[in-house]
Amino acid sequence: MSRPRRGLSRATALYVGGAVLALWAAFPFFWMLSTSLKESSEVFASPPTLVPRHLTLGNFARLLTETNFATYFGNSLTVSFATVVLTLGVSAVGAYGLTRFRFPGRETIAALILLTYMFAPIMVIIPFYILVKQLGLVNTHLALVLSYTTFCLPFCLWLLRAFFQSVPLELEEAALVDGAHRGRAVWHVVLPLALPGIIAAGIFTFILAWNDFLFALVLISSDELKTLPVGVNDLFNATIVDWGMIMAAGVMITLPTVGFFAGVQRYLIRGWGSGGLKG
Amino acid sequence: MRKSALVGWALLAPSLLLLGGLVGYPILYNFWLSLFAKHAFLPAQTFVGLGNYRYFATDEEFWRSVGYGGIYAGSTIVLQLGLGVVAALLLNETFHGRGLLRGVVLFPYTIPTVVAVILWKWLLNDSYGLVDYVLVATGATRIPPAWLGKDYIMWSLIVTSVWQFFPFVVVTYLARLQTIPPELYEAATVDGAGAWRRFLHVTLPQTGAVLFVIVLLRGIWMFTKFDTVWLMAGEGGVSQYVRTLPVYAYERTFTYLQAGMGATLAVLMFGLLAGATAVYFGLFREEEIVS
Repeated sequence: MSRPRRGLSRATALYVGGAVLALWAAFPFFWMLSTSLKESSEVFASPPTLVPRHLTLGNFARLLTETNFATYFGNSLTVSFATVVLTLGVSAVGAYGLTRFRFPGRETIAALILLTYMFAPIMVIIPFYILVKQLGLVNTHLALVLSYTTFCLPFCLWLLRAFFQSVPLELEEAALVDGAHRGRAVWHVVLPLALPGIIAAGIFTFILAWNDFLFALVLISSDELKTLPVGVNDLFNATIVDWGMIMAAGVMITLPTVGFFAGVQRYLIRGWGSGGLKG
Repeated sequence: MRKSALVGWALLAPSLLLLGGLVGYPILYNFWLSLFAKHAFLPAQTFVGLGNYRYFATDEEFWRSVGYGGIYAGSTIVLQLGLGVVAALLLNETFHGRGLLRGVVLFPYTIPTVVAVILWKWLLNDSYGLVDYVLVATGATRIPPAWLGKDYIMWSLIVTSVWQFFPFVVVTYLARLQTIPPELYEAATVDGAGAWRRFLHVTLPQTGAVLFVIVLLRGIWMFTKFDTVWLMAGEGGVSQYVRTLPVYAYERTFTYLQAGMGATLAVLMFGLLAGATAVYFGLFREEEIVS
């Protein structure tokens, strides 16, 4: 007799808990979206309205026409995609070297690479800045791309190493026996099988580059070269805060990441399991 | 064989060049730099030996920043862990909408810090913020607190950080929960164990190792967190009430332009972390090996 009742209360507890969790995680996003679609007067209304009474895209229009937001957005896209391409290229080649060739010290190198992952950017930013200055790269997007690539490399190398290790050597050897040279064997056999790993590594890299604040703050000084996080923080600090417009900026920065996650969630499970994003 | 070793090294060369040049060299250079009085932009530098270290040994600001860093890292880790583990246990159960909720819970971790901070500054705004409105409307308080003022800025920073980073705990812990063999729970249930005892005697021992790693990683990352803290409080005003060690190192370098001093703080940060990690391993590692 008591069994169904226990089952019911257990289900109730689960749904109540789930609702609380959803509210805590997602409500701030809902509030950001809602504010971004309100007219200025409604943004400050008391009592506040949960859903905008009059939907407007005015905040987005102001953001794109009256500020440099579009420039920051373009810069962020350029830097993030360049970082993804460079990181995937360098780490795929390196991980292949780590899994397919035997040489003394190979395991030590792999461990040392992982060790560099432990260093937070703030602990090397000062000498890093001086070095970039000596190379004449201060205030360039190249400096950002190089720093993001370097800080993504340890994780991507380890992730891709795990994926390459799981591709059976026999498959590759069979292709070689069939007369394909190594490059073709890698392109047609190894890379397709390691694709989920490559996609996961690419997304982690993109998000790190897209979200970074510290390097962009230290290395970039011209307004027209700034990426989104620093640019938006400048907008926020500039004058009396235009909350509707700032929330519109928040929505627009968040969209690419959310889109990525929604689109490729299934590829990410392995990535999360093996160490995930740093932050 | 010889040739294959060469090819291996050649394939690794770009990675090693980048890591050696842009992480390895700066780490070593940072130690060297900490022995100098050096301007952040001008090349002039003077060797001062351990002078910078002696300065910070008696610098109140330094010790305060260590204290704030401890409070910030300690409280955010405890809260992230509590919230994250409970959320992971919930998301490990079967119910409608679980898949969607798993995705939603991830969101705060994927957005830029600047968005998380601005969002919470809006929610906690002392004139138009939703949090204060709800507190007054429900009668919880008559005079709404200024969450971003000096009295509550640390609380606000902690809430924002926990919100932003707890998904890491959820996902990592959930990944491990899913690999616990169901037979263990069945056996415990047959033995008459309730939910709480199953958690205590099956789940906890099984997940000890992953908890060890989560606390280690989150500890390192929270203690070296720069952007959330800096964005929350900026440089003036209330920033002195949440000025943790990373922010202090940044300000020494890029506001006061004392790169040598900044480098010294980075070395001290590294030393404190290394020490804490060693103690942590000493305290917990052996238990983990046993279980």
